[in-house]
This record gives sequence, C-alpha cells and structure tokens, in this order.
Amino acid sequence: MRPLLRALETLGAIAVYLFAIVRSLFTGPRYVGETLRVSEILIRRCLIPVGLAVAPVGAVIALQGVHIFRSFGAEELLSSLLATAVFREYSPALASVMVAAQAGSSIAARIGTMRVRGQIDALAVMSVDPIRYVVLPGLIACAVVTPLLNVLTTLLGLFSGWVFAVVLVGCDHGSFMANLYSQVSLVDLYVGLSKCLVFGTAVGLIAGYLGLQTTGGAAGVGKAANNTVTYTIVLILVCDYLASMLLLSLGL
Amino acid sequence: MPEGSLYRMAAADINAAVVFEKVSKSFGSHVVLNEVSLLIPKGAIMVMLGPSGTGKSVLLRCLVGLIKPDSGRILVFNEDLTRLDDQRSADRHKLFALRRRFGMLFQDGALFDDMSVGDNVAFPMRQHTKMSEPEIRARVAENLERVGLPGTERKMVSELSGGMRKRAAFARAIALRPDIVLCDEPSSGLDPVMSATLDDLILELHRTLGMTFIVISHDTAEARAIATHIGLLYQGKLQVFGEAHTVLQSSHAHVRQFFERNTQGPIKVL
Repeated sequence: MRPLLRALETLGAIAVYLFAIVRSLFTGPRYVGETLRVSEILIRRCLIPVGLAVAPVGAVIALQGVHIFRSFGAEELLSSLLATAVFREYSPALASVMVAAQAGSSIAARIGTMRVRGQIDALAVMSVDPIRYVVLPGLIACAVVTPLLNVLTTLLGLFSGWVFAVVLVGCDHGSFMANLYSQVSLVDLYVGLSKCLVFGTAVGLIAGYLGLQTTGGAAGVGKAANNTVTYTIVLILVCDYLASMLLLSLGL
Repeated sequence: MPEGSLYRMAAADINAAVVFEKVSKSFGSHVVLNEVSLLIPKGAIMVMLGPSGTGKSVLLRCLVGLIKPDSGRILVFNEDLTRLDDQRSADRHKLFALRRRFGMLFQDGALFDDMSVGDNVAFPMRQHTKMSEPEIRARVAENLERVGLPGTERKMVSELSGGMRKRAAFARAIALRPDIVLCDEPSSGLDPVMSATLDDLILELHRTLGMTFIVISHDTAEARAIATHIGLLYQGKLQVFGEAHTVLQSSHAHVRQFFERNTQGPIKVL
C-alpha cells in the first residue's frame, strides 16, 4: 500500500509542477535576462563536448558504408546514406544526449544546490517564484539551445563524413556532393529540429523537477544530477526510436 | 491570556503584527506544532527559544507560508495567511504581497552563490521596486555599511567568512525595509563576539528602523540581550510566552531548566 501511495504522491507532485510550468509560460513576470544568461552558459558548456561527440559519427558512417557500397559498385550513394543518418537520427539524438549530459546535469545540480542551501526558499520568501526564476530559464534555454546545437552537429557530421570519404578514401567529390541531398528533404531537417525541441524541453523539465525535489545535502545534489542524465538519455533514445517508427509508417 | 480570545483580540488590536491561533502541524505521525497560540505586537523583538528539533523553524516557515499548517490560523497584520492557496492566482498575489512585508535571515544566510554580495543585497530591490540603478547601489552601500561590511559589494559570497555571510544576508533581509524581520538561529555557528555583534545589529535596526523582529534561537544569552518578548517551545507545545522580564523571572520548570542549563527537569535530551 505504501509504494502505491508514494507513487500517487509523486504523480501528484509532477502534475503540480507541470501545471506551474504551463502557468508560468503564459503569465508574467518573465526573466528574459536570466534566460539569456543561462542559455549563454549552456552553449559555452555544450559546444565543444557536442562537437567532439558528433564529429566522429560522420566519419564512422563513411568508414562502414564505403566498403559495402564499393562492393556493390554504388560508392556514389554513400553521401545519401550519410545525410539521411545524420539529418534524421544521429545528429538530433546525439545533440540531445549531450545536452542531457552536460546541461541537464548542471541545471539539476544548480537547482539542487540552491534547494539544499535554502536559496529556493529564500527566493519564495522574497516573493520571487522559483519556477519562473530558476526552472523556466533552464527549460527555455534547453529547448532553444538543443536545436541550435543540432544545426552545428549536422554540419560537423556531414563534414567529417566528407573528410573521410573524399580526402582519406578518395571518393569523387562531385558525386559525393551531388548525392548528398538526393535522399533528404526539408522534412528531414524539420523532423531533426522538432526532435531536438522536444528532447531539449524534456531535459529542462526533468532537470528542473529533480533539482527542486533534492534532499540530503551534497549526496542528494549528486543523485539529482545523475538521475537527470540517466532518465533523460533513456527517454531520448526510446522516444527517438518511437518517433522514427511513427514517421516511417507515415511515409515521412 | 486565554487562547480562544487571541483571534478576536487581533482583529480589534491594530498593534498586533502576528497572531498564531491554535496552529498545529504534523509530519506523518510526528506532531511538530501542537495548538500553538501567541500574539506578537508591532515593534517587538520576540525570541522563540527551545531545544533543537522542537518545531521552531517549522513555526517560522508556517509564518511565511512555506509550510501550510494542518489546522489553526496565522494572522499577519490581520490577514489570515492560512486561507491563501498559492496554487490560486489571486491568493498567490496576496501571499507574495504579504511576504514583501517580511525580510528573512536564513540559518546559513542562503545568499546566492553565483552573485556578488552587492547583487545579493540588490536582488529584492531589483525584483520589487522601480528604483533606478544608482538608487539601488546607494541603498546597497548604505545597508552594507549598516551591517559593518562597507565596500564589499564586489566580493563573491565564497570569499566571505560565516559571520560576514550572516551580516550580508542581514543587509539583504532589510533591503526593502520590511515590517517584520525573521531570523532563523542568527547566532548558530558563530563565536560569542560575532554573536554579540549580530545582537547589537538587531537592536540598532530595531531602534533606527522600528522593525518587528522574530528570532528563533536556542541561545539564552541572546534572548536576555535583545528580547522584548520570549517564548519557549518544547515538543511542539508553547510552554511559555510573554514579555521578556516576566518570562526571565518565571519559576516555570521548562524556563528555569533551559536558562540554568540544567540536565534535570521536564526537558529531556533525545
């Protein structure tokens, strides 16, 4: 009975949290300066790790693909595979996973530290809504920064694939470029950006919730950051799979 | 004072800053506050004493609406705080307006680590006033001067000692010139000289700005030094409450044991 009650209590807390988020999105006051400050921090924190994680992916796809395509005499189609994989799958998923690892953990740790040090209560006593001032800027920053990083990671993924295929393996540059966009369309770009928007929002929501629920001092802060990364990465990968299935079944 | 008459008294008494009427709060089966009733007049320095873990901080948190009591009423300037539901928009505005009449000194200061001392003190003014930046900077400098930390605006919180943090937090707590200042264990973790300095600061602010102070403490020396009113909370029950001189001369067993630092008596060590 007790686990059931605890589960209901958690569901209730999540519902109250989500309601407060939605209410704060559509009513003032808004902390634009704080949102820009958090966004800038997230971009600085994520840019290099995301670039380093995604850049090799294009090269790996080219490495694996070039031998298979060569054996069928269809080497020129390598760039089509690369573009489809990077645009639709790898870039959005990896950018979101890296944002979860870098930004999600740091947002949860920051809010958790503020919670255990009494700063969240201090905000409330000073008549400043912690959801608006602390959670919403992080949420909006994650939702905006993830698609922006996706643009960068897409370019990096394509570039690293080109370097491996054209410069190192000697594929023809003209046919590589000619086939690069033959299998992708604007829909793929929108799908990738939409996934990033949804995943980034999920990272911000989960990090904010777990940060606010932090108890138990420094150990609690570490646990909140760790749980944020675990929950968001699992959520991103599962949702990415389901979204791909759905889009393919819709013929998109 | 008969407990039942507190609410009616408060309604009629324009001098009441805060009234607790039969306030109870439990966490699970643990009763933290048990029908606590008291009336704090405007301009008082009320020190609530009691052993650790006896419900003093919960009392303070109920007073600012961070914790909702299970039963009873809390009147702040005759506005019933317990009827305000912070999930309802209109009530939330009332609650926030009421909270702006409070300044709170948290136990470890609760200063924002990622801001300078000056920005911490300026924070409530930037949030709730239309003061210009030069006016805010002047008020910040004045407040820091008042708490004995002149010229520390640019320092980061991590550069401050424990006593300096408390004083900087004090400067933030009085930034909006609140009607009531709440202090949660102001002397905990401080050496006696620094504790006495904070006591002097409370007396100075009380004298010059006329604020009402509600101080949670287990330091009897602090109560003797600053209190106009003293309460003693033990196991969630308000054992005694009244004007300081009356309580200090009381033969009440809890009071005597607490002030005489006696291990024998009704207060048991857990």
